[in-house]
Amino acid sequence: MISSAPVLDVQNLRVSFSTEEGTVEVLKGLSYSLPKGKVLAVVGESGSGKTVHALSLLRLLPPTAQITGGQILFDGKDLASLSESQLRKVRGARISMIFQDPMSSLNPVLTVGEQLQETILAHRKISKLRAKALAVRLLKKVGIVDAAQRYNQYPFQFSGGMCQRVMIAMALALKPDVLIADEPTTALDVTIQAQILRLIKDLQSQAGMSAVFITHNLALVADVADEVLVLYGGLCMEQAPVHALFKNPLHPYTQGLLNSLVSIKKKEDFLPAIAGNPPVPGKECPGCPFAPRCPHALKKCFKECPPLFNNKGHKAACWLLEEKA
Amino acid sequence: MNPIEIKNVCKTYVRKRFLSFGKQDQTPVLQDVSLTLKDNQVLGLVGESGCGKTTLSKIILGLEKASSGHVIVDGKDVGSLSKAGFKKIRRFMQVVFQDPYSSLDPRMTVSQILSEPLDIHGLYKDKQTRRKVLEELVKSVGLSAEHLTRYPHEFSGGQRQRIAIARALALDPKILIADEPVSALDVSVQAQILNLLKEIKQKRRLSMLFVSHDFAVARFLCDEVAVMYKGRILEYAPSEELFSNPQHPYTEALFSAVPVPDPAHQKKRQALTLSSRPGMEGHPCPFAPRCAYACAACQTPPLLKEVRPGHFCACAALPFKTKKSSFAV
Repeated sequence: MISSAPVLDVQNLRVSFSTEEGTVEVLKGLSYSLPKGKVLAVVGESGSGKTVHALSLLRLLPPTAQITGGQILFDGKDLASLSESQLRKVRGARISMIFQDPMSSLNPVLTVGEQLQETILAHRKISKLRAKALAVRLLKKVGIVDAAQRYNQYPFQFSGGMCQRVMIAMALALKPDVLIADEPTTALDVTIQAQILRLIKDLQSQAGMSAVFITHNLALVADVADEVLVLYGGLCMEQAPVHALFKNPLHPYTQGLLNSLVSIKKKEDFLPAIAGNPPVPGKECPGCPFAPRCPHALKKCFKECPPLFNNKGHKAACWLLEEKA
Repeated sequence: MNPIEIKNVCKTYVRKRFLSFGKQDQTPVLQDVSLTLKDNQVLGLVGESGCGKTTLSKIILGLEKASSGHVIVDGKDVGSLSKAGFKKIRRFMQVVFQDPYSSLDPRMTVSQILSEPLDIHGLYKDKQTRRKVLEELVKSVGLSAEHLTRYPHEFSGGQRQRIAIARALALDPKILIADEPVSALDVSVQAQILNLLKEIKQKRRLSMLFVSHDFAVARFLCDEVAVMYKGRILEYAPSEELFSNPQHPYTEALFSAVPVPDPAHQKKRQALTLSSRPGMEGHPCPFAPRCAYACAACQTPPLLKEVRPGHFCACAALPFKTKKSSFAV
């Protein structure tokens, strides 16, 4: 464990969906701890369980999904077993979230300012006037020019990047301890993406906030994260400090992902793609979920799920590492 | 003869205002766009959302009409063709769309999806030949014959995009228009589809118009790249020339914003911020309000000029751009 106590400690988290074909487990025991002031990036493809994981942290899962096991320890309390009214005090105020699509996460019939004010008033007993003043200050802080005028405008009058700035302002309004950002830049253009990433990173380090940054794009991770967790088929494949992960990826899946990234720095004739398709939740291989696509798979990989082998903080779940050890 | 020639195409969307007695809102989305797609080459059309790249590909496909200018496909002006005449051209010009989840009919089997273009053009009517053609088609995109009887929902995103590509190839076209074909796919699958597109381009001697917002993808696939912004071409050059020598300030800024998967490199890099300065709207250059080099020269409308052999750039301030670009990638 790193010297400071973790802000958020997730232990063996399991989430299942009930479907017509029975229950499907989409998170199969995820564990990590988030130290204060650090950014953990959770990287995964569609169906890997990364968004389900984010939603389960604040218990925002759809009614068909359930947390079936594990603990989410935050401030000495287990969020997984907290009552709804206690949870409301945590949501937004202590842990807040930024969603993928800024256009659809804002209410189109309320002005941007009203929505910001609403968030503040829900948690703090201050006058409406002071809440408004705070909201305008927040809009300025996230880089919205003419914040006072913009306060009275509706989301449709904002561009995608501006909407995401408003979402960030809203998420930071109550100075939370933890920020969860679920693909905050996927819907945005590259130039805007760079701006928003910088903004999140700056505000995060200024406020000494911790953050969980969820993305499918490994390239983004290099810029923002301190630590990276690679998720595949509901399981952690590899977890390591960002430099170690990019310099020396241990898991074949991480290696494959890094290799298949298209580089802007040189022209390639052929991309070393990972063969096959990501697993369908509920139809994974009984052993390691990556085994069917893995170029180094052993017989054992198809039968038994490897544990996370820990080598000085660089953890990876692969049987190949057991042999080396 | 060049497969596609786009000559001075303009497009303006007109919207009638409610109770306005004939007043109209005019939104120009393409302004004087000229491009040439050369034989067996891939032309990349790169830009941010709303720059007009999809509108341009729709005009080429005849799904939209240009307000002025000409699109010449295979020597014929698309705008002046009859419906029957256009159908003949369509056979040689096929399209792959961005989202493989909405571009395949969920109630048709793969075999029906692939047969539809053949039916429309009355090809391979004999049952056995048809079957053989379909089987070869799915194999050429990396699927197998048993997939023919399945429905789209049984496939993953990458496999669906393979089906969409197979459908586009069914008529053995000469031109393929690919509108962001990999942007909806997972990273590990994106590489597979890019390899497939490169392979079929070489095997079938296709000419391809590749629309994308991703520069890295464009570098992998394209022979020539045009950078669009607010309905205009700002820079146009052979791919390698563009990536090693970006001239336009906008292209530079875009390159600097592309994330690089290397934490050490990333820390050293500084992204050029594109902050918009208000009060510069209506400037002759559409990029001037966000440009770091905007100066008095920008009062003249920028025209595409050849700045290096084969390398065109529309920037009036270019001769005065003193700071040496450090953002070549």
